Amino acid sequence: MSKRTNIRNMSVIAHVDHGKSTLTDSLVSKAGIIAGERAGDMRYTDTRKDEQERCITIKSTAISLYYELKKEDMDYVLQQSEGNGFLINLIDSPGHVDFSSEVTAALRVTDGALVVVDCVSGVCVQTGTVLRQAIAERIKPILFMNKMDRALLELQLDKEDLYQKFNRIVESVNVIIQTYGEDTPMGDITVTPSDGTVGFGSGLHGWAFTLKQFAEIYVEKFKLEPKKLMKRLWDDQFYSSTDKKWKKESGPGYERGFCMLILDPIYKLFHSIMNFKKDESTKLIQKLKIKLNIEEQKLEGKPLLKLCMRRWLPAGETLLQMITIHLPSPVTAQKYRMEMLYEGPKDDILAIGVKNCDPEAPLCMYVSKMVPTTDKGRFYAFGRVFSGTVSTGQKVRIMGPNFKPGKKEDLYNKSIQRTVLMMGRTVEAIEDVPCGNIVGLVGIDQFLVKTGTITTFDQAHNMRVMKFSVSPVVRVAVEPKNATDLPKLVEGIKRLAKSDPMVQCFNEESGEHIIAGAGELHLEICLKDLEEDHAGIPIKKSDPVVSYRETISEMSSQMCLSKSANKHNRLFCKAQPLTEGIAEDIDDGEVEPNGEAKARARYLADKYEWDVSEARKIWGFGPDGTGPNMLVDCTKGVQYLNEIKDSVVAGFQWASKEGVLCDENCRGIRCNIYDVSLHTDTIHRGGGQIIPTARRVFYASILTAAPRILEPVYLCEIQCPETAVGGIYGVLNRRRGHVFEEYQQEGTPMFVIKSYLPVNESFGFTADLRSNTGGQAFPQCVFDHWQLLPGDPMEAGASNKASIVVTETRKRKALAEAIPPLDRFLDKL
Amino acid sequence: MLYLIGLGLGDCRDISVRGLEVVRRSARVYLECYTSIMFVSKEELEKFYGRSLILADRELVEQGVGEVLELAMTQEVAFLVAGDPLAATTHSDLILRAQKKGVEYRVFHNASIISAVACSGLQLYRFGETVSIVMWTDDWQPDSFADKIENNLSRGLHTLCLLDIKVKEQTVENMMRGNKVFEPPRYQSVSEAAAILLSIVQRRQEQGCSYLLKNDSLSIALARVGSETQQIVSCTLSQLATADLGPPLHCLVIPAGMHHMEEDMVKCFALKQQPHPIKNIQ
Repeated sequence: MSKRTNIRNMSVIAHVDHGKSTLTDSLVSKAGIIAGERAGDMRYTDTRKDEQERCITIKSTAISLYYELKKEDMDYVLQQSEGNGFLINLIDSPGHVDFSSEVTAALRVTDGALVVVDCVSGVCVQTGTVLRQAIAERIKPILFMNKMDRALLELQLDKEDLYQKFNRIVESVNVIIQTYGEDTPMGDITVTPSDGTVGFGSGLHGWAFTLKQFAEIYVEKFKLEPKKLMKRLWDDQFYSSTDKKWKKESGPGYERGFCMLILDPIYKLFHSIMNFKKDESTKLIQKLKIKLNIEEQKLEGKPLLKLCMRRWLPAGETLLQMITIHLPSPVTAQKYRMEMLYEGPKDDILAIGVKNCDPEAPLCMYVSKMVPTTDKGRFYAFGRVFSGTVSTGQKVRIMGPNFKPGKKEDLYNKSIQRTVLMMGRTVEAIEDVPCGNIVGLVGIDQFLVKTGTITTFDQAHNMRVMKFSVSPVVRVAVEPKNATDLPKLVEGIKRLAKSDPMVQCFNEESGEHIIAGAGELHLEICLKDLEEDHAGIPIKKSDPVVSYRETISEMSSQMCLSKSANKHNRLFCKAQPLTEGIAEDIDDGEVEPNGEAKARARYLADKYEWDVSEARKIWGFGPDGTGPNMLVDCTKGVQYLNEIKDSVVAGFQWASKEGVLCDENCRGIRCNIYDVSLHTDTIHRGGGQIIPTARRVFYASILTAAPRILEPVYLCEIQCPETAVGGIYGVLNRRRGHVFEEYQQEGTPMFVIKSYLPVNESFGFTADLRSNTGGQAFPQCVFDHWQLLPGDPMEAGASNKASIVVTETRKRKALAEAIPPLDRFLDKL
Repeated sequence: MLYLIGLGLGDCRDISVRGLEVVRRSARVYLECYTSIMFVSKEELEKFYGRSLILADRELVEQGVGEVLELAMTQEVAFLVAGDPLAATTHSDLILRAQKKGVEYRVFHNASIISAVACSGLQLYRFGETVSIVMWTDDWQPDSFADKIENNLSRGLHTLCLLDIKVKEQTVENMMRGNKVFEPPRYQSVSEAAAILLSIVQRRQEQGCSYLLKNDSLSIALARVGSETQQIVSCTLSQLATADLGPPLHCLVIPAGMHHMEEDMVKCFALKQQPHPIKNIQ
């Protein structure tokens, strides 16, 4: 643990059902936690009952393993290390898009990622998403081709075809890596089988190999160093056993190295065992030096095959080798990760501590999620120590995401009760934990909502908050079945908010308790947890509804004026649509609300042709200071403007959070302040006067700028056989879906249909799809973008979707039915 | 008819006889209660006037005034304001709206802090722009009023500083939610105001500005002017930061160079036991 160079923090990421948890079992069994025979069936890291029942991972689970790399393999480790014992902290994460916030939380605390791809279905939408996230967090990927048993047994591809299939997957993974990792300081992070950064095998059957394993097998035969031989085993390298020569192109008598030396023995073994040719297989087993006892020799068919493969090419060993050799240690990784992890100056004592992964530096730890304890209602704060050492009883500063240096908000000075190691299903107490490790803290859960920074340095800034790839666009209202249970529900909601990195819980004006999640499945799980665990009471839930956004489509048709209540202050303002693309750039963090103003102005001027002087006078972003709307100061020479800036910005936050149409968040609106006239005395232009006035003038500006409604849209990927395609089109059409891509997966009879589907139409979509395709189609929906709802929300009409949405939303929120008229916000000169 | 009646500063009996007559016969009597406070309770006033009063808070005056004016179209309505109706707090918006509606109005003046500050011994002729010192929050710390004081000083004019009062203030959060939850009333004391001025002086020094206002500048603190317990103290700004002048309302004067009559008056109010700062100035 204290040998920081010998730690590997890694997560397992993939598309849903590509076999992460199953593969993780091989690693766990290698460490002796579960028996080898049960590996692959047990899914040790799926600790929850519903995870086991549904065969789906919901929460990410961490386990720690100890592994000794063989002395001779230490040559492959190209980074600094001490001895050959390695501590591997592994986090198994969910694959379903609805839970991808769990992946984000897992990536933050790890330095490397094992990307698992099902070699039958290839690279899928979620593979791309998680890979992109990993690269953005500066996580080094290695690739594993899973489910090779299916490729061999079900698809029956011949050797060359299988090679081509592998090659295509490696290439498409590398395309993603190159697209998003172009200028990363991690260096070249593409994966290549001949370097050993790509593994092949079957998690279910518990076997795996990289080219290194085979190079070692053939080392005597070819009298070549394994490292050199590995190069021969991939790509266009052909060998003839008669000529005993390598060539760069195929020819008579020459066969691809990969096919001849690797696939051939595997194919033969499969063939002989599955066709029950006992003699042949026994011979082969001996030749491959697989040792079986008498009992085991009597096995036949699949059980024998599984056993042989596992003995021959044990998955745990292969994977652990890949992990220790190719993934970075905290010492290596934190050097290049610091600048994007730490918000403060890059040369303060904490930044240096993180950069050097120095256990003697002040403590800096990031809590990425809360894990429920067996003690009901309490949580472990789970995270990674980046600098210094955390220990039991230590007095620390606990800084929440709203903490600002020098302020007291969201800051607590408390002692850590205990530090623990998280071991999948159990925890283990430990005295102190140096940087580079993943740890759980006891006794600080009440001071943090979901995430935070723990430090001992009194001038510390926060660690950067995590950016989620999905947003909570689906929401339901909940209430207890028995009104007397309300306090329990409120308490339960608080716990739910803690236990899930993504879920949002809040109260509507009408007093309703709203729970918002990434999708139907996510909400279903949250509500189940709430009902059975957190609150422990029966609850009633409303039908799911979608959150909308309010936007505008033109420049305000007039200069809007609002006067303060005492009439002494006047604000003049207009709204205009934010240049297209900026809202997305804010979402993606390209335009940083809290970033450096000059750099941001430069960016806006270069990319969007903004006037530089205006771009420098961005007063704020809203809602919540970071949202996709901007407030720009376009005034010239107004005295005391600075003293009302905060009040105007507060009014803007308010107006952009609770839009004028139906109280939804705003998006893509730019408000310009053109002139201000103020009372001469400070006291007559305080927040009480300015904040409501600013809000009114922004509402007036929006109402005069042709307001519109945006609805969230999923990118929906469906895999199905050809016969089901017609049914899918039917369902999508009925639900306003729009197909933009359809292709056949190479080498399979499966079709992939990609479409945009409004989230509002997605409720019950999966079930509808299943019944229309005889259960053959499986959709994956992930939030993609916001889309304009046709129609002017201000004009009532039975076919006007926008107006219907506004009216329904207002009704649900118990607001007055009509959109407030303009003259409520607009004053006359 | 709308009557705007000043109540004066310290006592319920400070109302003018003419004002009292109007109060007694008006159809409705409003008491404005958010820009300043009287040192007598509403009940005492009611007892003295023999009338029940309607409290008019900020919301009523700034937003719900239509109803007041409507009544004034046909009947007599009295609107009572502590001090003078048009001096420190300007109720000109009310007058403008009354005129627009064609409602007749009368103003009965009374003593205001703007005039009563003369009790400090400084001559009203030599006062510059009046400023308010606001209560600072963590992220709202305006300081433009100090520049105005500075401006006055450079022109040889005294400055009357009114101190912030927060009555029926909402937090931003409650305002957004529309909750009618108000913070407990707070009144700035002279020591708080002095502390704010001192920190601005320090700020300016750090910025390298030469400032006429200094830590040892003379200042005059006035508390509860016009009441039985009126108190006046003159000392340096930094001494003032630790002074305690008892309950509100307080105000503060930053004098510029003084006439000899003014000097003699101000000396009377010097803090005992301490060398008087006037010497330092000379």
